Amino acid sequence: MIRELCTLLVTSVLINNAILNQFLGMCPFMGVSKKRNSALGMGVAVVFVIVVASIVTYALYYLVLVPLHIEYMKLITFILVIASLVQLCEMFIKKTSPSLYKSLGVYLPLITTNCVVLNCCLANISNGYGIAQMLVYSIGTPLGFALVLYIFSSIRERLETSEVPRSFLGNPIALIVAAIMAMAFSGLAGIV
Amino acid sequence: MKTILAILFFLVMVSLYIVLYLMNKRTPLPEGCENLKADCEGCHDYSCTNNPAHYRKKETDQ
Amino acid sequence: MNRWKNFKAGLIKDNPVFSLYLGICSTLAITTTVNNAIGMGAAVIMVLILSNVIISCIRKITPDEIRIPVYIVIIASLVTIIQMLIQAFAPSLNDSLGVFIPLIVVNCIILGRAEAFASKNNVLDSAIDGLGMGLGYTLAVVVMSFLRELLATGGCTITNPFNVSQVLFSFSIIPEEYTISMFGSSVGAFVTFAILAAVVALMKNKEADHIALEEKEAKKKEMEAKKAAALEAKKGAKAV
Repeated sequence: MIRELCTLLVTSVLINNAILNQFLGMCPFMGVSKKRNSALGMGVAVVFVIVVASIVTYALYYLVLVPLHIEYMKLITFILVIASLVQLCEMFIKKTSPSLYKSLGVYLPLITTNCVVLNCCLANISNGYGIAQMLVYSIGTPLGFALVLYIFSSIRERLETSEVPRSFLGNPIALIVAAIMAMAFSGLAGIV
Repeated sequence: MKTILAILFFLVMVSLYIVLYLMNKRTPLPEGCENLKADCEGCHDYSCTNNPAHYRKKETDQ
Repeated sequence: MNRWKNFKAGLIKDNPVFSLYLGICSTLAITTTVNNAIGMGAAVIMVLILSNVIISCIRKITPDEIRIPVYIVIIASLVTIIQMLIQAFAPSLNDSLGVFIPLIVVNCIILGRAEAFASKNNVLDSAIDGLGMGLGYTLAVVVMSFLRELLATGGCTITNPFNVSQVLFSFSIIPEEYTISMFGSSVGAFVTFAILAAVVALMKNKEADHIALEEKEAKKKEMEAKKAAALEAKKGAKAV
């Protein structure tokens, strides 16, 4: 059991990485990766939102949608739950902790329609995870996202000062960097 | 019966979301956070409340 | 005329994928085969046209303050409908696109066009914009998937999405020893995308340079004309 959970954690963080293997969350990956600090903030916000959203959607699916036999409402329910949760979190942080809002507040709303969150909630259901697996998966996935985002932003800071062909300036060269990172990460597939 | 339940559930979710969205929008920003902006020029995510589209004033009729 | 221009802009110059960097997630993920790309493109076109039309229809009665939540709800409902249709009529396509059909909800192209175009324009224009942008997306994914499939498998096969055993079109030109399987994996996705984006940037840069050059020449001519006029005036004054 523990072994299985560890395997799931390693798989979701490193091997089946949200960005480099499943191509999820490319918008913030390209948008919020120019500075290391913002990448860190975004990473923390994603971890927080995904864990909360996974638990809420999982509970809602098995406690409301399944007993009522309206499983086909899954997608629309989940997107609404995620969007509402983000609003709630933002409001809560605004009211209770201005200092936390200063460091995280900007990144929370970015997550409303981040594919990583929606995919994680949907995958919990479609993979038929139990509660423990669900928790491990929904911690592992955003951790992998945050890790890659942070590494990528560190590389991008160096990229700013280097000479790049004019056509590749900006996003194209960043995508080449992502390709090289994907190559490096694919080497990790042998761990499990 | 099932369909009615589904529609009711849908309406509850939508109204919950819209109420929370409005409440959040009307909660003032804490002091010192008025000018926070993520460096998100590369991002065209309109669902993000940082996107200037959320603060667009109603344009005058053309 | 203006409509045609709007329509054409979405295809290449303002291509949503390679130029505006919208909807990259699904582009990178589903371009492994041309089949998937066509299916995804069709789904995106349908959602985009329908959402643009509906949002344009209700643009006058939507309260301004909550319009973005309203758009999200409309788009999510549309995607649910489309997903059910695909599940019912093209189950193999549903299997190969997997989670990326529901993820059309969070595709930035759709909400982006709803907010930037459909909320301000009439129904017909919005439908045309949806079609143009959707075709731009489809063009991008088809070109990218063609390159990837060609390099990774040496050929290209298109089957009927409603009946998988019926092959519509198939060819193979690269012998098996020379195929590069990397292009089928995530590395190939990033590389192909980067190169295509760079090509579009090159085209844009060239055009911008051309315009800048023309402006410069026009300015030069204007200056010369001014000088000549001044000279003429001087001459005229002397003669008097």
